[in-house]
Amino acid sequence: MNALFLAPVLFAFTMVMVIPFFLGIYYSMTDFNGVRTDLTFVGLKNYETMFSDPLFLHSFLVTVEYTVINVIFVNVVAFALSLMVTSNLKGRNFLRAGFFVPNLIGGIVLGYIWQFVFNNVITQTAASLGLNFLTKSLISNKDTVIWAMSLVNVWQYAGYIMMIYVAAIQGIPANLMEAASVDGANYWTRLTKILIPMMASSFTITTFLTLTNSFKQFDLNMSLTNGGPAGMYMMKAVKTSELLALNIYNTAITKNMWGDGQARAVIFFIVLVCISLVQVAINKRKEVEM
Amino acid sequence: MKRFLSLVLALVMVCVCTTALADIKVSNVKVEIDAALKEYAAEYSKTAGFNVTVESVGGGADYSGSLKAALQAGNMPDIFVIEGMGGYNVWKDYILDVSDTEFAKNTSVGFMVEGKCYGFPVAIEGFGLAYNKDLLAKAEIDPATLTTYSALKAAFEKLDGMKAELGIDAVVSIATSVSGGMTWVTGNQNFSTYLSCGLPYGDMTIIDMMREGKVDTERLTEYATYVDLLFNYADQEILVNGNYDQNVNAFATGKTVFCHQGNWIDPNLAAFENCPPMGFIGEPFTDKQEISGLMVAAPSWYVVNAQSPNKDEAVKFLEDMVATEAGQDYMVNKAGMVPAFANVALEPSGDLSVDVMKASAKGDIYSWGFGYMPDNFGMQNLGPIFELLAQDAIDVPTFVEMVTAEFANIPALLAAAQ
Repeated sequence: MNALFLAPVLFAFTMVMVIPFFLGIYYSMTDFNGVRTDLTFVGLKNYETMFSDPLFLHSFLVTVEYTVINVIFVNVVAFALSLMVTSNLKGRNFLRAGFFVPNLIGGIVLGYIWQFVFNNVITQTAASLGLNFLTKSLISNKDTVIWAMSLVNVWQYAGYIMMIYVAAIQGIPANLMEAASVDGANYWTRLTKILIPMMASSFTITTFLTLTNSFKQFDLNMSLTNGGPAGMYMMKAVKTSELLALNIYNTAITKNMWGDGQARAVIFFIVLVCISLVQVAINKRKEVEM
Repeated sequence: MKRFLSLVLALVMVCVCTTALADIKVSNVKVEIDAALKEYAAEYSKTAGFNVTVESVGGGADYSGSLKAALQAGNMPDIFVIEGMGGYNVWKDYILDVSDTEFAKNTSVGFMVEGKCYGFPVAIEGFGLAYNKDLLAKAEIDPATLTTYSALKAAFEKLDGMKAELGIDAVVSIATSVSGGMTWVTGNQNFSTYLSCGLPYGDMTIIDMMREGKVDTERLTEYATYVDLLFNYADQEILVNGNYDQNVNAFATGKTVFCHQGNWIDPNLAAFENCPPMGFIGEPFTDKQEISGLMVAAPSWYVVNAQSPNKDEAVKFLEDMVATEAGQDYMVNKAGMVPAFANVALEPSGDLSVDVMKASAKGDIYSWGFGYMPDNFGMQNLGPIFELLAQDAIDVPTFVEMVTAEFANIPALLAAAQ
């Protein structure tokens, strides 16, 4: 009888997750172009060509770079914000809501808004202030484009992660902190010896969320830079900010190489699962029980 | 009970009425005619006995990607657009043979494969270097003399020296960036200059070499030098960063003398009050011959979804666009297109469209070659190389080398698409 209650969810899960997952693995071993119905089985050929494609290797490296930057900055900023809005600051409830709002805007819209900010607002303001180093748009410079994209992501995502930290901080019994301050522990000691260890389980969650979120970044990437500007990698013209998800999309859909794109997606999946498992295992060890 | 019955009856009526009306979905790739086409479709639906709805996915946006998404979602439009053999090969299972229609008999540029007509030419279009007549006259340059690379270079140098006098920011307005979605201008259109400019109409010499993965290095170097000239005299901000609007607006407001675009910018230009008179010269990429003609072709075709249950209505919609007065009025006057059909006598009013018509009447035209490249090859594989040249990250010889390397992949890509 209990299984019957599960049926609707199981049905949906099977239809939209399980079946497409195995179909995807099958497509990754064919020459499917996205439209044609007669497929040829090509075995592991798509997996072999992938690793000799500079575009894919480049996207892989850029994605790793982007993920590292974002895991660090999103968490640092979010943690700082959460400390701020749980202190005795005036208007902290308003700030809490304010920091969270960017998260409610869809990635595509956000990308176009920030594209305008980077290409027009910043450059023109800089020009009128005489700041020459900022008159070239940050997203058309291949050295700054990843940082510009990270800035937008931090702006959007830090508020969300902040909420998780806020919940964790509020879950710590007040008497612990009070006892510590009666014993003469200063703020820094309370922070590092009580607050952070007590919050370890939320760090597991937030690191996992930021890691997977940055690794899978697509909508912001597509609307903000679409992979541009162009750059060189292994003597080939590449799109310097084309992250893995966008590379997979362009390979499968735009270039009509669905099989190749699907193979990349399978590798993408495996890498993401491995990294996440390792991360969660490491973080779990640091958690303390009440 | 009576009330209940009448309610059921009313409901059934409503259902019958709505299901009886076939709904024709048209997928359009020319954003500049979006409003005109929607208005015509709405007007047409009132009398046709079926509904026509239009959805536009713009030039820079990923059209074939969105079409594939629609197919996967079971939402395939009844009329969609292909841009040559690349698209035909991908979509051939979904393309209806329309050889027996009236419009197919009235055009010489339908999409033909093995003697059968599959596509309705959306319009005749031409591109080249659009110029501002007032500014060239002010600089005392006769556009008719700009038919060789050297002449064009001399003119660019002269104009560059007169920036303050003419009130311009730069000589040329052209955009290349991947992020601005402008690789269709460089990788597709501008690159057609290499593939077919200066050759007899429909000449396949360079295209056949391309299909074998080979380049004519001398011609490619000449072409790359010409592209570099355009880039060096372009508004640098628009060149590496701009989108379509910035590209066209700089030209329309007289901030540049030239603009690398086609006659489809006429409606955009018309939106500006006091827009100066404009004209076209070709793409003088060489000193070996005089290039006076424009690059003119029917670059895109409406095709009818062969697997749609409403394909008869879809064909009728296209038939009526050519056969009725309202349809012709829409194509020529409202959308400002150069019609591709012999039975349409109207002429467009835009300056650039008029120049395209004149050039095709004289036969002083070159074909577009980019449709023969693998689907999206120009935009995805060549586009970033143009952007590198625009950023001055590479020089002309490296450009040639990189394009040559990309060409080596073409035979495999074409074979995979078959």
